[in-house]
Amino acid sequence: MIRTIKAASATALAIAFLSSAATAQTIKIGVNEPLTGAFAASGTYVVNGAKIAADEINAKGGLLGKKIELVIEDNKSNPTEAAAVAEKLITRDKTPVMLGAWGSSLTLAVMPKLVEYETAMVVETSSASKITTSGNPYVFRISPPSFVEAAAFKNIVDKLALKKVDFLVINNDWGRGTAEDFSKMMKEKGITIGLIETMDQSAQDMSAQLAKIKATDSETVIITAAVDQLTLIFKQAAALGLKKRIITTGGSQNPDQIIAQAGAAANDTMHLTTFLPWMPEKTPNPEATTYFINEWKKRGFDFAGCTESFRGYDGIRTIAAAIEKAGKAEPAAIKDALWKIDVKGLNGDIIFKKSGPAGQESGQSFPNVYLVEISGGKIVMKDL
Amino acid sequence: MKQIVTLLCLAFFASVPIWLTDPYLLNALITTGIFIIGAMSLNLLLGFTGQLSLGHIAFFGIGAYVSALTSLGFDVPIYGDFHIVHVPWPPIAGFFLAIVISGFCGYLVGRLSFSVRGAYFVIVTISFAEVVRLVALNWVELTQGPLALTNIPSITIGLPGLGYLVLKTKFHNYYLVLAVAAISYFLISRLVHSHYGRAMRGLMENETLAVAVGIDVTKTLTLAAVISAGIAGAAGSLYAHYIRIIDPDVFAFISTVTMVIMVVSGGKGSLAGPVVGGVIFGLLPVFLRPIMPPEAQWITYGVVLIVILFVMPRGIVPSLAAKLGLARAGGTRRASVAVSERTAEEHA
Amino acid sequence: MDQLLQHLVNMLVLGGTYALLGIGLTLIFGIMNVVNFTHGILYTFGAYMMFIVVHQLGLNFFVALPVAIVAGWLLGAVIEITLLRPLRGADIDTTMLVMIGAWIAMQSGALWIWGGVAKSIDNPFPDAPLVIGPVSVSWLRLFVLFAAALLIVLAYSLINLTKLGKAMRATFQDSDTAALMGVNVSLIYTSTFAIGSSLAAAAGALLGPVYVVFPQMGDLAAVKAFAIVILGGLGNITGAVIGGFILALAEELGAGYVSSGYRDAMGFLIIIMVLIFKPTGLFARAERVG
Repeated sequence: MIRTIKAASATALAIAFLSSAATAQTIKIGVNEPLTGAFAASGTYVVNGAKIAADEINAKGGLLGKKIELVIEDNKSNPTEAAAVAEKLITRDKTPVMLGAWGSSLTLAVMPKLVEYETAMVVETSSASKITTSGNPYVFRISPPSFVEAAAFKNIVDKLALKKVDFLVINNDWGRGTAEDFSKMMKEKGITIGLIETMDQSAQDMSAQLAKIKATDSETVIITAAVDQLTLIFKQAAALGLKKRIITTGGSQNPDQIIAQAGAAANDTMHLTTFLPWMPEKTPNPEATTYFINEWKKRGFDFAGCTESFRGYDGIRTIAAAIEKAGKAEPAAIKDALWKIDVKGLNGDIIFKKSGPAGQESGQSFPNVYLVEISGGKIVMKDL
Repeated sequence: MKQIVTLLCLAFFASVPIWLTDPYLLNALITTGIFIIGAMSLNLLLGFTGQLSLGHIAFFGIGAYVSALTSLGFDVPIYGDFHIVHVPWPPIAGFFLAIVISGFCGYLVGRLSFSVRGAYFVIVTISFAEVVRLVALNWVELTQGPLALTNIPSITIGLPGLGYLVLKTKFHNYYLVLAVAAISYFLISRLVHSHYGRAMRGLMENETLAVAVGIDVTKTLTLAAVISAGIAGAAGSLYAHYIRIIDPDVFAFISTVTMVIMVVSGGKGSLAGPVVGGVIFGLLPVFLRPIMPPEAQWITYGVVLIVILFVMPRGIVPSLAAKLGLARAGGTRRASVAVSERTAEEHA
Repeated sequence: MDQLLQHLVNMLVLGGTYALLGIGLTLIFGIMNVVNFTHGILYTFGAYMMFIVVHQLGLNFFVALPVAIVAGWLLGAVIEITLLRPLRGADIDTTMLVMIGAWIAMQSGALWIWGGVAKSIDNPFPDAPLVIGPVSVSWLRLFVLFAAALLIVLAYSLINLTKLGKAMRATFQDSDTAALMGVNVSLIYTSTFAIGSSLAAAAGALLGPVYVVFPQMGDLAAVKAFAIVILGGLGNITGAVIGGFILALAEELGAGYVSSGYRDAMGFLIIIMVLIFKPTGLFARAERVG
């Protein structure tokens, strides 16, 4: 692990040197991700995924006869810095298109810059609905906002015979959005909504919330949190003897890590996810998935990172397809081309549909959503 | 002499957008400038009254939220069918309201500082900032919590006979920030050179003596706290209308740390200190970015801070001033006692 | 009722480690008057030492604990000698800022070495919890509670029964007089900082296996430690222990019966209340301004 991180830093350093000596022989793509601060782990995963896509494209001869070059900048998990990074990528590095910026507040802070410089950004992870509904025509999102997940989950709630449901969600746009959209959908289905509990982004001890949930009469808990917090929740729920069905949402959870770290506590839990690295044959694009996973392992990264990093991989491939279609690496042409692409992504077809106020719509792609269950320490796919 | 230097510096800062065309650097200067205003206000408390506030970002954040909500409007259910509805006002109204409300919060915290001193005051201010952050995070009906306030309008000013000017570009915002910074600097300078300023320093150096000679502790500390918080609120308002999105992250502890770094490294109790410290630590990350990987940038940032304090424990400006034999900017012990005595005479 | 019992058991388990964090900091803060921003880093460091010894060296869990504590002691001594000793006599803001610089640099160093991905540490205790009636608690957490209690007793005896402890208390009361009486104040400061640091590392080593280990894990822990110290009064070990349990109780009940969104606000609200009515903490013994 130490070695891979050092190698990654060395690569970053090399890229920094290359970019200062860059010529017009490359097509630049800006990457605005958190590499330090609270979201460092996730941002690094996405960047590693993006690099795999860039290397793959370059190995096949690049785009429009040129190599592509990722200009990777750290936004320090800080909205002010995210906006500054966008400014740098667009005005200094002259990147005609960007990928970013992981968290919703980071993405939202970049959005005014996109309008100012008329440059498009592909959003790979952020889930806040505001991103595509506030009338910013330069935003193209490939990750699903929570209402898309809720809509997909709607088909299975009857089969699961849910009656009363509690929520335990991370206290940010992602968790709050999930609680809102899922409870709306469930109420329509006649399911009773019990508690909606939140936990701080950095909290490590959720025993108090879980003790409260343990005391209710609901039979199911829906949990939205990143993988580290999920693992802790499973351990702590088991320690408290909480015996309710657990369903997680969000798609950046990682059942492998949960099995490895929570052990027996993870059994019989269900997870809504958007990518299936455990069964490449069942993904919409098995060939690409297999290539991506092999490459990921070859580079010595944690397998657990796949469910985050594939977004970076898909994001760069989306951008590459748009540049190809545009026929030139210019901001306006790429932005128009993003509307016309049809990429076979690792989690479904990436086709942008219009979203938000008429005349200045943002692009939103609708990936597949899957439900997997951990059973006997193994991951099994359930039909939706 | 000192005034000439100040005016020359102001003229230099005013000339920057004319010769600096790189928008990325201009953006960095604007955000740094906003934090320097915050640091100057912190200096008033830390450098001139000796009260270390580690929750200063609370006033900055309150200013940002007040200003954003004033210009965006809100509809908050209070109890049953009773709602408080606010129709959007022009952003400039938000700017002034931010100063007033932050100043009022400063008054409340200032009241506390009479009974709570030293380390205890540090923790009270941290706690205050955390509670405010958690309210911003959880009172979703008002602040939209983690869903963030977006599309905050740019500040608009009415020019007599010329209509309205929307301060949208970096060029405009740079001068707006510079103007607010200059006014704040002038205000703080007037205050610390006034009768109150001498009382503050007297209080910091020797409280018993200060009280004995008739300095009104309550009034002096409250005044400093109110003005300091009001200026921080103004900075927060500028931030909200420039970045145009805010969420509870504006209350991040690291932002208070940034301001404290600017003040103490530059030299607390020196008017120019926060500006010098602010320019160094605001622009250091910009220069580190292209030459080293992200983690190393932070390590360097920490090491530079330690080295500066080892070489110049009193801060850059006072140490340099002492070396050059210029003004006694930091105020040595003897000078301050003299100040207290003078204050005593004035009171007598 | 069952829920309340469960909350009380949780409080005991959580409070033990809060107390451990608190006494380490109250020693440093109280005796040396240093706003120690590296306390959280020492906590993180203890947890990573645990991870290295258990997973990279493959040694036993119970061997790893003392290793982590000793490593914390050494790192604390190094920090004191290199960063604090040269600045003795500088004011509280300057030393605080140096500690902030060390915190930023060391946290980024941890990120560089170990990466941001959270690590989990295996433990030898059974997965199934201990169930007594309506309450249930994991064996690992029970072990952590007892280990924390043992360390607290050790620290308490060290301060109150040994010669070193006596010198430390004398230095806290009045460092100039202590120096005149022949106490090696420099050595006392280094020992104090090292002991406080080793307690932070111990808390990290104990909680690392309970939670997960990542570079920023110490930040929240440090804020809570500061709160506990103030609640208990500067330099007051008994106060810090009680403060730790009070904070845990407030968080549990706050999350259980008020609102989980305000869970972390409970501690801060208590601090503000306490300091409004009793400005030197609940159990203040010595007065010291500045």
